[in-house]
Amino acid sequence: MTGKDRMLEAFARREPDRVPVWEMAFNEESIIKLGALYTDDLPPMKFAQQMTMEEKVKLLTTLFTVARELELDGISSIGLLGTEPVDDEHVRDGWGRILRVSEEGEATAVGGPVREPSDLKGLEAYHPQPTDFLMLMAAAGNLGTDVAQVLVQPGPFRESWSLMGSMEKLLYHYIKNPSFVKDLAQVVTDYILEVVDMAYDNGADIIGLDGDLAFNQTTLISPAQYEEFIFPYHQQITEHAHRRGKLIFKHSDGNMWPIMDGIADAGFDGFHPVQPQCMDIGEVKKRYGDRLCILGNIDCTYLLPFGSEEEVAESVKETIRVAAPGGGYIISSSNSIHPGVKPENYVAMVKAARRYGAYPISIEE
Amino acid sequence: MQDILDGIRQAILAGEEEDARRLVGDGLEKGLEPRRIMEGAMMPAMEDIGERFSRGEAFIPELIVAAEAMQRGMEVLKPHLGGPERGSGLVLLGTVHGDIHSIGKNLVRMCLEGTGFEVVDVGEDVKTERFVEAYREHRPDILGLSALLSSTMQRIPEVVEAVRAEDKAAVIMVGGAPVTQEFADQSGADGYAPNAFEAAKKARELLG
Repeated sequence: MTGKDRMLEAFARREPDRVPVWEMAFNEESIIKLGALYTDDLPPMKFAQQMTMEEKVKLLTTLFTVARELELDGISSIGLLGTEPVDDEHVRDGWGRILRVSEEGEATAVGGPVREPSDLKGLEAYHPQPTDFLMLMAAAGNLGTDVAQVLVQPGPFRESWSLMGSMEKLLYHYIKNPSFVKDLAQVVTDYILEVVDMAYDNGADIIGLDGDLAFNQTTLISPAQYEEFIFPYHQQITEHAHRRGKLIFKHSDGNMWPIMDGIADAGFDGFHPVQPQCMDIGEVKKRYGDRLCILGNIDCTYLLPFGSEEEVAESVKETIRVAAPGGGYIISSSNSIHPGVKPENYVAMVKAARRYGAYPISIEE
Repeated sequence: MQDILDGIRQAILAGEEEDARRLVGDGLEKGLEPRRIMEGAMMPAMEDIGERFSRGEAFIPELIVAAEAMQRGMEVLKPHLGGPERGSGLVLLGTVHGDIHSIGKNLVRMCLEGTGFEVVDVGEDVKTERFVEAYREHRPDILGLSALLSSTMQRIPEVVEAVRAEDKAAVIMVGGAPVTQEFADQSGADGYAPNAFEAAKKARELLG
């Protein structure tokens, strides 16, 4: 069985030969530290936005080396929208969004072209360019079709608020100007549908729809607000993916319980990452295991950064025991392999997944 | 007079900015004590939102519009408040170095302002020395530190130590997704809260 077969079997909620291993993201620093375990030919330690083209290529090659060495079953890419520098800390993308670059994670929008609802009319939509998919093309070219290709794309909520430059501004209009929120969601959904098409055309098997809808305690918005302002757009996107015969899952950190029914009803094929501080994976499996493939759950807040390799292995074993039987589980961290994660702990996670993840699962409680 | 106070409370709860502004003006015109408007209508409205939030009946949009209405009312009320400039107290707030996340901190700011605190927000990705400088400049009653990532959270103890070197008696609160009571205790912070509403409550407790 290839890695891609394994991932697709898990999404079909059947048992592959072993639990697939995949990550939604690795930060630059994590790629370089993990890469150092396998090669000396590494890019300099800085963030991608500050790298030369040659250094970026080396960063990607290093990621692919890590994926090959650890025999990952899937690889994730992100859209690389062209940006131009504004100052040392900020860049501007094709939508006119101002993004703040960060050492510790992805760039975040701090200013956008839709400052007020009245700006929407004059908004010139950005259309995805082939070059936005260079990372996906490189991954598909380098790792081939034996590995599942996942493209991570922000969902309508995140695209909407980033066009306003702040989540608070968008949420304000959930109450003050609902029709504007829906119009904006449709503009970004049309864009996302184009991205989905181009991603599938360029080798993607699966789309991961990014953008947190929850925090540790509960969802940012009520179930009714999800139904009104996000669900219809999620549905358009999942239907589009399914028309192409492809898969799509929803990613959100935090406690998503209040809107989990909506996520399943919207047509997603999977849910990531089941943050262990807020959601019990056994409960998610019990309630949604017949409708959703479950991805994630190995804690990257405390365990992977500060735990021991033995503790990591123990957590992997327990998570597989609870989530893997019957299929429908793909193991990954509870968000990403960020700079705080100890490289040896990530390697221990992957090794433990191989040790305990062979089907049929036989782990004693 | 009670009906005006009730009206202000309702206007804030519903996020009706113009009503909040107008009714606060009406109240002042009819001779209501500014403190009474603050403590008898505006702060209770934000407490109502907090309670609705804890019951799962209000979410972040409801908090944001209420905080906005509160702000509009405060603009009218503030010139009449007199007395100590700092209201319930002055809080210096920021997200630690390396962390560019703002929403958690901004929600805490809204809840603090909604319960009568003055807030100086020094923003995101704030270097430790900048926290010390801002502390020296503003001499706040409370310093609030936020982090969203478990990696950046590690900078919290460093800021606590640096600010305490400046002022041994500094009152420091910490919060953010990965932060726990245990971590707050280990960092030497005086207070921790799991969400924005609890943070505002905790701030009042610490100064009470």
